[in-house]
Amino acid sequence: MRFQLNKTQLNLTQSSPLHLLHHQLRDFLTGRLWLRNQSFLRSETIDQQIKLGYVEVIPGIQLISTTNHLFSKEKWQCNRCRNINQHFFARFHCAKCEQTCVYCRHCINMGRVSSCTQLIKWIGPPKKIVTKGNTFIWEGTFTPQQEKASVELIESVRLSKDHLTHAVCGAGKTEILFPAIAECLKSHKRVCVATPRTDVVLELAPRIQKVFPQTFVQALYGGAEVDKRYSQLIIATTHQLYRFEEAFDVVIVDEADAFPYTFDQTLQEAVQKAKKLEAPILYVTATPSDELKNRIKKRKGGSSFIPRRYHTHPLPVPRFDSLFSYQKKLTKGKIPQKLKQWVCDRLEKEEPFLVFFPTIELMEKSVGLFQQLHPAIQAVHAEDSDRKEKVLLLRQSNIPGLLTTTILERGITIPRVQVAVVGSESAIFNKSALIQIGGRVGRSADHPSGDLVFFHHGITLEMDEARREIVKLNELEVIQ
Amino acid sequence: MMHCYLCSAPLRHQLTWKLLFTSMPEPVVCEKCLRKFERIQDSEQKYEDVIALYHYNEAMHDYLHQFKFGQDVVLAKVFRSDIATYLKNSSATIVPIPMHPLKKKERTFAQVDELLRVASITYTHCLEKMTTQNQATKSKLEREQSEQFFSLKEDCQIEHIDYLLVDDIVTTGTTLKHATTLLMDAGARKVTSFALIQG
Ligand SMILES: [Zn+2]
Ligand SMILES: [Zn+2]
Ligand SMILES: [Zn+2]
Repeated sequence: MRFQLNKTQLNLTQSSPLHLLHHQLRDFLTGRLWLRNQSFLRSETIDQQIKLGYVEVIPGIQLISTTNHLFSKEKWQCNRCRNINQHFFARFHCAKCEQTCVYCRHCINMGRVSSCTQLIKWIGPPKKIVTKGNTFIWEGTFTPQQEKASVELIESVRLSKDHLTHAVCGAGKTEILFPAIAECLKSHKRVCVATPRTDVVLELAPRIQKVFPQTFVQALYGGAEVDKRYSQLIIATTHQLYRFEEAFDVVIVDEADAFPYTFDQTLQEAVQKAKKLEAPILYVTATPSDELKNRIKKRKGGSSFIPRRYHTHPLPVPRFDSLFSYQKKLTKGKIPQKLKQWVCDRLEKEEPFLVFFPTIELMEKSVGLFQQLHPAIQAVHAEDSDRKEKVLLLRQSNIPGLLTTTILERGITIPRVQVAVVGSESAIFNKSALIQIGGRVGRSADHPSGDLVFFHHGITLEMDEARREIVKLNELEVIQ
Repeated sequence: MMHCYLCSAPLRHQLTWKLLFTSMPEPVVCEKCLRKFERIQDSEQKYEDVIALYHYNEAMHDYLHQFKFGQDVVLAKVFRSDIATYLKNSSATIVPIPMHPLKKKERTFAQVDELLRVASITYTHCLEKMTTQNQATKSKLEREQSEQFFSLKEDCQIEHIDYLLVDDIVTTGTTLKHATTLLMDAGARKVTSFALIQG
């Protein structure tokens, strides 16, 4: 987007409208850790604020000493993403500072941070949070379990305790968060809902905005236009938390187990860095790892468990069906008979369906074959820019089914959807991925069940464990 | 463990005998990423006296964007063996297309120099860029008709020898044409060009 400046505008204000004025700078920088050399930041304004002691300058990259029982050595640390894995640092001769400069490749897609880059943060008088505008409008109802979980969550917020909410897929976990968020806003707390995936941010932000219509809800993800206003309620990808420091009074981590949060230590540290020291972290997930459960226990955090879906019907139990040498057959241009029959059944019954594939390659080889069964069948993967549109087409019954990678394993709801996993023995389909995938089936109260089949070339432990867990959850006695 | 510079996948390239006993640099990107780049066939060369190695496809667009605008300097290494293979035996004096000093300071590095440096190719700067104007914002006609982009560096003596100009990308050929004219007028025997990418 380009701003058109006219001469009168320039004469009226001292700085151009592109630049932030003093109070705007405070609003924007509060809790943020930002690259200094950005077009909307006017150098003179920042210099003034530094002189006043309101803005702190932090070097982008810093040498830190690490000591273990044997050695003491120096390491590079990126002060934005806090990465200390030396593999992610690169040195070069810098034409700007005219010496050897080190930069961080770990967070480079947010604008490069190097030794001669300055990061700035607001340390001046804080912005007063005005809360009278934060109304909470929600007319849904809770099941007794949801009600209980939501009360427990509010309790943890009040006591500033970490909390783990374990809610099965389709339990209505977002709704459980609403009263807790309302409580935070009311008590002048700044809240961030963080989730590893951009899709989830895009899905959550409008839902949350709707129940807090007078609150400025800011959605942050890679490529999002950053609104410069202060916002008390931020919905962000965990990656975006690199750009915050001691900002939040409460951080809610949604889908805590989803890739890449569990994989990437620095993302976990990003959550720690973005929150204030005493601020609690509230985790919400359908598939908590043992590590997460232990962490909560150790920190004496609260926990809630919702074993039933909001419509109280049981979770669909996967059935296993062998599909030997599917890879070879698909590569040779043939859909294995059982899989073909399954898709034909869906087409005949006009049931929307998802077929999960272990790799993009195999899926792309197969899509043409499926299109011979029905020309409108589409395929989606993580780098597909039309992903949202294709999911919408399926939801609106404009296409009969989608082939997908694990990218659609969570966050999407399609009424009446039937699910097949091809090659469920593949390593990428671990227990939690399989449970999440199964969670797509039977989400709506009108169609609480559906077919869930794992087509495999040999049953794995992960498949067994996923099924065992689902069966166990269904057998639990619950309060009604 | 090394990770692919482009997709972060772990790099488990085999230490082949070839890698051990030649000075071939270790690859920094995975096979999968490498396959997305498209080599130019001899019949596809668009400009006279210019050899380009790769097509400007989507993968190359992303690469160049991350390298130049994302300032990811190490990405110069991705094509170092290609560049080395092509240039190491050249008898001509290698002259990179320069950046304007202000532009270079802003980007913090000169991408062409960096491509050559990591490929261990010696080069000599003979040219100076006179304008900071971005060529990409001009029409083809404007670029062809504009005045000389370059001047000779004061301390550089052009001899009656062969020169090989190097640029990262050739899009209209005008930049290289300007530099060629300047060197030929100053007494060069022959000037040819090399570009990593043909736009
Ligand atoms: Zn970093
Ligand atoms: Zn520098
Ligand atoms: Zn790669």
